[in-house]
Order: sequence, then structure tokens, then C-alpha cells
Amino acid sequence: MIITNNISLSFNNSYIFKNLSFKIEKGENTCVSGPSGKGKSSLLKMLQGYLLPESGFIEIAGMELNIANIKEIRSLMAYVPQNINLPVSDGMELLKLVGVENKSEKVGHFAEKLGIPSGMLDRDFDEMSGGQKQRIVIAVCLSLERDIILLDEPTSSLDNGSIEKLMNLIKEIENKTVVSASHNPLWMGLADKIITL
Amino acid sequence: MNDMVDIKIFDLALGFAILAIPLLVFLYFRVRMVSDLFISIGRMIAQMFLVALYLDWIFEMNNPWINSLWVFIMVLIGAGTIVHRVGISWRIFLFPLILAGLLSMAIIDGFFIGLIIRLDYFFDARYFIPISGMVLGNSINHNIVGLTTYFDGLSKRKELYYFILTNSGSRKEAIRPYIQEAIVKGLNPLLANMSVIGLISLPGMMTGQILGGAPPVTAIKYQVMIMIAIFVGCTLILILSILYSNLLVFDSYGNIKLLQRKKHTNNQ
Repeated sequence: MIITNNISLSFNNSYIFKNLSFKIEKGENTCVSGPSGKGKSSLLKMLQGYLLPESGFIEIAGMELNIANIKEIRSLMAYVPQNINLPVSDGMELLKLVGVENKSEKVGHFAEKLGIPSGMLDRDFDEMSGGQKQRIVIAVCLSLERDIILLDEPTSSLDNGSIEKLMNLIKEIENKTVVSASHNPLWMGLADKIITL
Repeated sequence: MNDMVDIKIFDLALGFAILAIPLLVFLYFRVRMVSDLFISIGRMIAQMFLVALYLDWIFEMNNPWINSLWVFIMVLIGAGTIVHRVGISWRIFLFPLILAGLLSMAIIDGFFIGLIIRLDYFFDARYFIPISGMVLGNSINHNIVGLTTYFDGLSKRKELYYFILTNSGSRKEAIRPYIQEAIVKGLNPLLANMSVIGLISLPGMMTGQILGGAPPVTAIKYQVMIMIAIFVGCTLILILSILYSNLLVFDSYGNIKLLQRKKHTNNQ
């Protein structure tokens, strides 16, 4: 499903990672791990085409990641960013922004599985805790029903109970390729594969 | 109608004394705008007296090329002022902003002078230059606010842009919230201004025409039309400035680039 072949990335003439190669099969749950600043989030950005590898290539669903295929590749992905303090009024606005306002029941279903009452989608986003926002953003992204789910530090604002709920939900979703960036040991324990940077 | 009462040079000079009030406010609150104030006042005086000289000549010539060149220079200065105040790169953004100004003026002048007023001579300096000038002059502030809001949003809240771009798959959707915010913040003051016109504010053009001896009803009709022209012009210039700038702000993958902005002190 996802292949990287000898990809490298550098900032200020210093390599973040060099000649990185890995293969993620369809339906596999992969966690990219490593200390802060080692390029976990950058790797997820590379998979979306927001950072381009200085060498090598990336192939997703049989398509090389390039300008010709970028739209189709992104259409396979759902992305949960690291910073979940998104400037929106409430969860419903998030749904509208990504064009799934007709899927509010589905979002509510995922939110409830993550311990968030579905009615909370209408609540002022600024009044929510980081954990509540994170779970709503995850629920919105899961409702997109994309083949590839990219989660950047999905546990950063969650307590252990919420992490377990998220782990159970990810296990329930079949045939989805999950790539997450995290150094949380509990979360890493869920992964089929760990890529350490 | 009575003849206009002229302001004597001494009284004109005396009129500047009231600037002591904003000056004291700036000094008391240590707002670093004193030099800006003097520069702006100085420029205004010099420009207005120059205008008096060359408008005489331009009106006498009333040549379509000279009049068009004059409007082009106004667009150029307007675009330059906006680039400077928003703090964006001259090299990158000056051309898109000039293009936005020229296209907007072609539409506004074409509609109001060609279709509404229906002048026999489209480029008549008495209409072509003041109407273009009023639209362009008013658009500067609104464009500065709108573009600052737009570029600030994109540079400080990138996360939302990338979130929408991946999850919706559409760049149009990803920039929509930023454009909405820019339009609301840029044009709201103009809407507010229009809604109180005649109640709180008496517009300059109408007052000028009445003072100059025109019948109030004619002056009001012109003022209503010019307010519509200003609002449509501001909207066009702002949205075209954003759309033309977008061609250079994003790379072909949709990444935000070229958004380094100069910092201005105290809202200079």
C-alpha cells in the first residue's frame, strides 16, 4: 500500500533522516516512533506530498507520489494533525469544512466509541479540553472512510482510558491502513509494525 | 445657489493646529506614529497642491491616453501602498495587485461611466479620473485589512489549511475559510459605513457637489451610485488580489510558500 524507497529529508543542511526505506501492507497498522525532532511528523507530511523527499521516491496504492497523482493519493487519506487546536467554532463546522456534514451520525457514532457524547459536536470548540478536541477530530477523520488513516501524535492529549478506547476502535476498523506518529509505549503496543527514526 | 466661501491661507494654516489633539494622544500613550503622522500630512499637502496644478492641465488636455495613464498611475501607487502596508514581498505581489486593480477599474468604469452615466466621451477627465480615484482610494484600506487577514490566517493557522486540504481533497475548500474571513473583515466596515450614510456621515462627494452648486437630488443620485461603485470595486479588488496572489502563494502540491511578511511596529 505504501512504499518508500531511499527517501531523505534535511533541514539547514542536516539530515533528519537519510535513505529511509519501508513497506506498509494494506490493512497494516504502523507506528512511526522516535524522539522529538527526528522527523515523525515530517514523514507523515511527506506521505501527503507537503514535503518532498530530496532523494528516492514514495509509492502509495501503486501510484508514485508526484504532481500528476497527488490529488488521487490524497483522496485515499484521512489526516489527524498533531495540533488539534483548530480555529473552528464547533465539531459541526469541522464536518462542513471537510464536506461530510451529511455524516454527522457516523461522526457521532465514532465519537461515542471514543467516549464523547455525540451532542458534544455542537459545543463550542474553544470550551473543550485538548482530549475532547482530539477525539472529535479523530471521529471526523474516521467518518471520511478513507483507505489510509494518518494520525500525528494521536494520543498527545489523551489519558490511558481514552487511548485504550481509541486502540479498540482502530482494531474494529477493518482493511484500513493506519500510519501514526507517536512515542507513546501503550499506543506503540497496538502497532503491527514500528518504524523507528 | 450661493458661491462657495473660500478658506484663506491663514485660516488653512490655523486648521492644522487641531492636529495637536492626535499628537498629544500619540505622545501620551507612546504610540510610535508621530513621524508617520507628519509624513502623511506632509505628503497630503504636497500631493493635493500638485493635484491642483496637474488636474488643471489634465482637464484642459482631456486626452484619453493621458487620462488612462493617470488612472494607471493611481492603480500602481495603490498596489504599492498595499504591498508596503501588508508587509509582503514587492517582487512577488506587486504585479498581481496591479492586475487586480486594473481589471477591477475596467469593470467598474465600464459599468458606471459607460452604462449608467452613458457619457458621450468615456474618458472625460471630469468623470473618469474622480470616479476611478474614489473607488481606488477607498479600496486601499479595505484591501489592506482583507489581505492582512488572509495572509495572517494562512501563515499563522496553517494546520487548518492542511487538515482541510488532505481531508476534503480540494484546495478551493481549504482556502475558503481564510477568504471568508478576509472578505468579512475587509468589507464589513464599508457596509457599516454605507448603512449610516446620511445619518451620521455626510459623504464628501455629495457635499462637494452641493457646495459647488449642484442640485441636492442630483448630488444624492451620484453619491448613491458612487457608494455602489466603491463597494463593488472594493470587493472586486480584494477578491482578485487574493486570487491572483494565490497563483504565487501555493506550489503545485498546494503547499503554502512565499509568505514571509515584514513586521510593522504599532500598526504602521
